[in-house]
Amino acid sequence: MSQMDDALREALRREAAPEGFAERVMAKVGREERQATKSDDLSHWLLAAFRRPQLRWATALAGVALAIGTMEYRNEAEKRAEGERAKDQVMLALRITGGKLRLTQAAVRRIQYAPREQ
Amino acid sequence: MTPVADFEGMVREHQSMVFSIAYHFLHDRPAAEELAQDVFLQLFKSMGALESAEHVTRWLRRVTTNRCIDHCRRSRLMPRIGLDQVPEPSIPGGAPDLMLSRALGQLVASLPANWRALVILKYQEEMETEEIARALDMPAGTVKSQLSRALDFLREKASRVLGETV
Repeated sequence: MSQMDDALREALRREAAPEGFAERVMAKVGREERQATKSDDLSHWLLAAFRRPQLRWATALAGVALAIGTMEYRNEAEKRAEGERAKDQVMLALRITGGKLRLTQAAVRRIQYAPREQ
Repeated sequence: MTPVADFEGMVREHQSMVFSIAYHFLHDRPAAEELAQDVFLQLFKSMGALESAEHVTRWLRRVTTNRCIDHCRRSRLMPRIGLDQVPEPSIPGGAPDLMLSRALGQLVASLPANWRALVILKYQEEMETEEIARALDMPAGTVKSQLSRALDFLREKASRVLGETV
């Protein structure tokens, strides 16, 4: 085995997962399950209401309104996520620029205060 | 044991593997944790289709790696870490030290996503070429040649940044 292989094995050895990771996964799974149960309940309720003739039109309208609302909500969430990503990129660019600026300032200072040759 | 308790056991058993693949890929702990959580959520939904413990391990490696590649492509995360950000190693030559490991980890994180996947599966998971090929659904020859190119690239970068250390 080459030294590079050993160094890579060392650099890429498994890290411990962050503290409380499994608990957070289980909480996420629980939320997801509750969400799935809720949407199951809603679709059963809508189906039952749709079977009653006097509620059929109202249920259909409510269903359409719900579908449009969900679509709008998803679009809005996507736009928000895009905004967040753009913000992160700007912050990263600013950090890089800041770093370069500090390096330049240090270089300028070094030149400024360097003893001049006679 | 209930399916949920069973699942929690699986999370505890594989959390380090899944988190580490994501972390070595993204070099960003919060992003790696989020991605790893999503992988386990997907595992929970796919539990019925998995037949054995080995199948779960293979599935987790494949799904985590593919999600990492997708994440990089989606967010155009390509080299978030530039060569100028890789620190100098503290001890030249000799046994691998912490700074050298960190520098190499960052060099790996600056590789193109496909190459990164191969290097992480080979060195973190100690997988053979054929296993990687099966996991990523790629021909073994392609894995071998891409891995060799990735390692040449890493060697060249490492010698530029780290000198004669590796």
